[in-house]
Amino acid sequence: MEHRDFLLEINVEELPAGYVRDAAASMKTAFRRGLDSFHVGFNGRILDFGTKNSLVCYIENLPLKQEEVSQEILGPPKRIAFDEKGNPTKQAVGFAKNQGVKTEDLKVRQTPKGEYVVIEKKEKARDTKDILREMTPGIIKGIRFPKTMKWDDSGLRFARPIESVLALFGNEDVDIKIDSVPQKKIRPVAPAKYLKTLGKLIDWDVRKKEIKGLILGVVKGLRADHGVDENLLDEVTFMVTSPDVFAGEFDKKFLDLPGDVLRASMAKHQRVFPVSRNGKLINKFIAVLDGRRNKKLVRKVYENILEAKLKDSLFFFDEDTKRPLSENIFQLKDLIFQKDLGNMFEKIERLKALCGFICDKVGERPLKKDSERAAELSKADLVTHMVGEFPSLQGVMGGEYALKSGENKTVAQAVREHYLPQGMDDPLPETRAGAILALMDKIDNVVGFSGMGAEKISGSFDPFGIRRNALGFVRIVKDKGFRFDCEDLIHKAIELYRDKLNVPGNLKDKVVDYLKDRIEFLMGDVRPLELKRAVWESGCFDICDIFNRIRALASIKDKTYFLEAAKVVERTGNILKGAKKEKIGAVDERLFKEDPERSVWKAYLDSKDKIQGLIDEEQYKDATGEYARAFYRVVHDFFDKVLVNVEDRALRLNRLAIMKAINTLYTERVADLALLPQIVVK
Amino acid sequence: MKKLSFVEVVDMLNKFWVKQGCFIVAPLDTEVGAGTFHPATFFKSLGRDKWRAAYIQPSRRPTDGRYADNPLRLQSYYQYQVLVKPSPRDIKKIYLESLRALGIDLKAHEVRFVEDDWESPTLGASGLGWEVWLDSLEITQFTYFQQIGGKELDLVSCEITYGLERICMFIQNRFNVFDLEWQPGLTYGDIHEQHEIEYSKYNFDEANIDMHLKMFEAFEKEAAALLGKGLIYPAYSFVLKASHTFNLLDARGAVSQSERPRYIGRIRSLAKRCAELYLEKK
Repeated sequence: MEHRDFLLEINVEELPAGYVRDAAASMKTAFRRGLDSFHVGFNGRILDFGTKNSLVCYIENLPLKQEEVSQEILGPPKRIAFDEKGNPTKQAVGFAKNQGVKTEDLKVRQTPKGEYVVIEKKEKARDTKDILREMTPGIIKGIRFPKTMKWDDSGLRFARPIESVLALFGNEDVDIKIDSVPQKKIRPVAPAKYLKTLGKLIDWDVRKKEIKGLILGVVKGLRADHGVDENLLDEVTFMVTSPDVFAGEFDKKFLDLPGDVLRASMAKHQRVFPVSRNGKLINKFIAVLDGRRNKKLVRKVYENILEAKLKDSLFFFDEDTKRPLSENIFQLKDLIFQKDLGNMFEKIERLKALCGFICDKVGERPLKKDSERAAELSKADLVTHMVGEFPSLQGVMGGEYALKSGENKTVAQAVREHYLPQGMDDPLPETRAGAILALMDKIDNVVGFSGMGAEKISGSFDPFGIRRNALGFVRIVKDKGFRFDCEDLIHKAIELYRDKLNVPGNLKDKVVDYLKDRIEFLMGDVRPLELKRAVWESGCFDICDIFNRIRALASIKDKTYFLEAAKVVERTGNILKGAKKEKIGAVDERLFKEDPERSVWKAYLDSKDKIQGLIDEEQYKDATGEYARAFYRVVHDFFDKVLVNVEDRALRLNRLAIMKAINTLYTERVADLALLPQIVVK
Repeated sequence: MKKLSFVEVVDMLNKFWVKQGCFIVAPLDTEVGAGTFHPATFFKSLGRDKWRAAYIQPSRRPTDGRYADNPLRLQSYYQYQVLVKPSPRDIKKIYLESLRALGIDLKAHEVRFVEDDWESPTLGASGLGWEVWLDSLEITQFTYFQQIGGKELDLVSCEITYGLERICMFIQNRFNVFDLEWQPGLTYGDIHEQHEIEYSKYNFDEANIDMHLKMFEAFEKEAAALLGKGLIYPAYSFVLKASHTFNLLDARGAVSQSERPRYIGRIRSLAKRCAELYLEKK
């Protein structure tokens, strides 16, 4: 069967750099769905490309026609359509006539309602080209952008004005009618040939690699080392279509500015790359140009502009350092943290209290003073000129200015790194004081934002970054190995907000759920799937312990002793489940009547301390083994020979008490393994 | 490239845009932050009437003062403003043509359109477009208006705002604004340096806060009263005075972060009513 390729090119005025990739991907998805729904089967790839000025979709190997689709149309029941002799009745003839078929073509089909007359209608397979022509305008209009605009009277919206569209199917152009948008006039060529004329740099991965290579070439020439800023590289990839690079220079005196300021200024004002040697910035930069230009002339402009901008940064730096950072604290009363959550001054008061609270809990008393001081200063840079100019330097400038103001290094470093980590790939705070402040900032955010009674987060909807904060929190606790009960901390954080929160009732549970959700996310796929839930049912909410426990149990999931322990928990749990209304007290040995009662209780008394000791040491594998060894046989024997639910209330309660003691010995501190599916001991 | 003087650049732009059917309008005689505040843009971009205008507009941004110490930042400077309504399909090409008309070699140099969604919270105005970079020097703000005075626009205008000093720096190859040739025999610094130094001192250190706070209240009240009488243009001029007074208070550090949005909201609501009344009267 003959196949052809399809190409769609949307030419558009400069798109924002961050829009291109997602837009091209959404177009690709829309074509795949569209072709499926029109039954255009194809086995080739759909490729997407894009630059600041074009979005391209390329579909390989499309058939010339859609698949034939046949449809069954139900007519009258057979008993009405045919007489006793099997001849068609008036009704049958009428149905056939209405449907435009001959009476001979009527068929009978068994349906749930009985036998009915049906006809099979084959829909004429349509040309793929017609289908593409029909669906393309809708796909173009359906491309999602963060922001769209109008540019003429047609009402058409897009990220920027569309200049023209071009669609090719085989060697023919496809007439795409979309409001006022003109079609690009070319002599029709094969899509593959046209794609070639667009050049290999139309592919953003190729382009990015090319730019990176060019930059690294210059770096090598400068005998420098370089960590190419990936975010900036990504942005530049969508700002230039045919890259060229050059190196420029600036006055060494600007190297007195903090390196982060130089980097931020270069990235923001000119999208140029800093250069470093032995890890320190040098007075050079690398610019990426679009197309071949007169580099000598261009370079001079770049250098002059950079110096003017750096001069402005120096002005900000001098203004900001005229007084100590701590003098800014009072201004925080005027700075809103969040409309319903008060101002930044109140926030740092809470952070200070939380830092003190947690230092006591995690045994970091020596850090108490420093972390409290860091909390006080943590937001003071928000009212500086530099952070006003470069919001991304929040924290970093606070750290710089704290040092300049004579604060000690621990305090300055804690202020500097307390916003970390922002994203999944971000580094975590390095110092323990930084980690403590970062944790308190994050838990205060999660509690505050969850407590505003705002809409619940779901899917990608998380306007206040609750999930990001919760994830950062869990990652830091795990990384630093801080041991504490999160519920205590959450409780404290809620208390510090006083009357500002709307939903104090179940807020703690809500926050606990957000943290648990992120722990599960970080743990990834753990088998058996029910294991995480089993662990949630027990023990205090100590994040490190939870990671340890889930890992340990997952690693022994196929061992016989694990399954035996699970069986013990299951059987004792089942009997307790049926006795929820009973008031189970302590075990009274005087009420023992049968041997298995005595032996199961003896097993408990003999092994209890050892098992608890192992749990205290978080030796969960050994504790599980010991539990199985102690109880598997005797509990089986007990259930075989002793009836728990007897008439005699005292006797019944006593037997339940034994079961409860055995069950909770494990479930309260390790995991409620009864939640696992089908526990079968081999 | 022929080194045009500041005055010649303005002259060339006037000639170019007249050819494109623009009326040359005189600058507004009130202190404003940008050419957008001129009634020839603010009011004229409302409604469905066609309109093309170009004009130079002296502009003031008190917080940008640097005591004449920065080669690129000034608290008072000049914008060259073009408003074309409705926006023609080839407006970007026409704009690039205007750069060529100024003698800029677009092959040797790189013009880049960098995403910048423009917004003026005080005017309730917003649009999508770009900063235009010439070898990384921002020379123009290019915007397709979407909203003015809080109104979604019926007809999209294109606003092109040239930074005249920046363009002259480029053309004259002088990267300190005060060295620019205004006209042969006269530099930008001759006219502006002392002015910049004194106004930086005034804006940051000397402006009388109490007086300006009172003035803000008075201007706001006057604007509201005039709106009540249907006098749009006088009312609007008091909105602009209030806006500039706010900018001064801001530079003086007299506006706290939490008060800021409230001040801006007060100005915006007056600007919105001006826009509404303008549309009603038409």
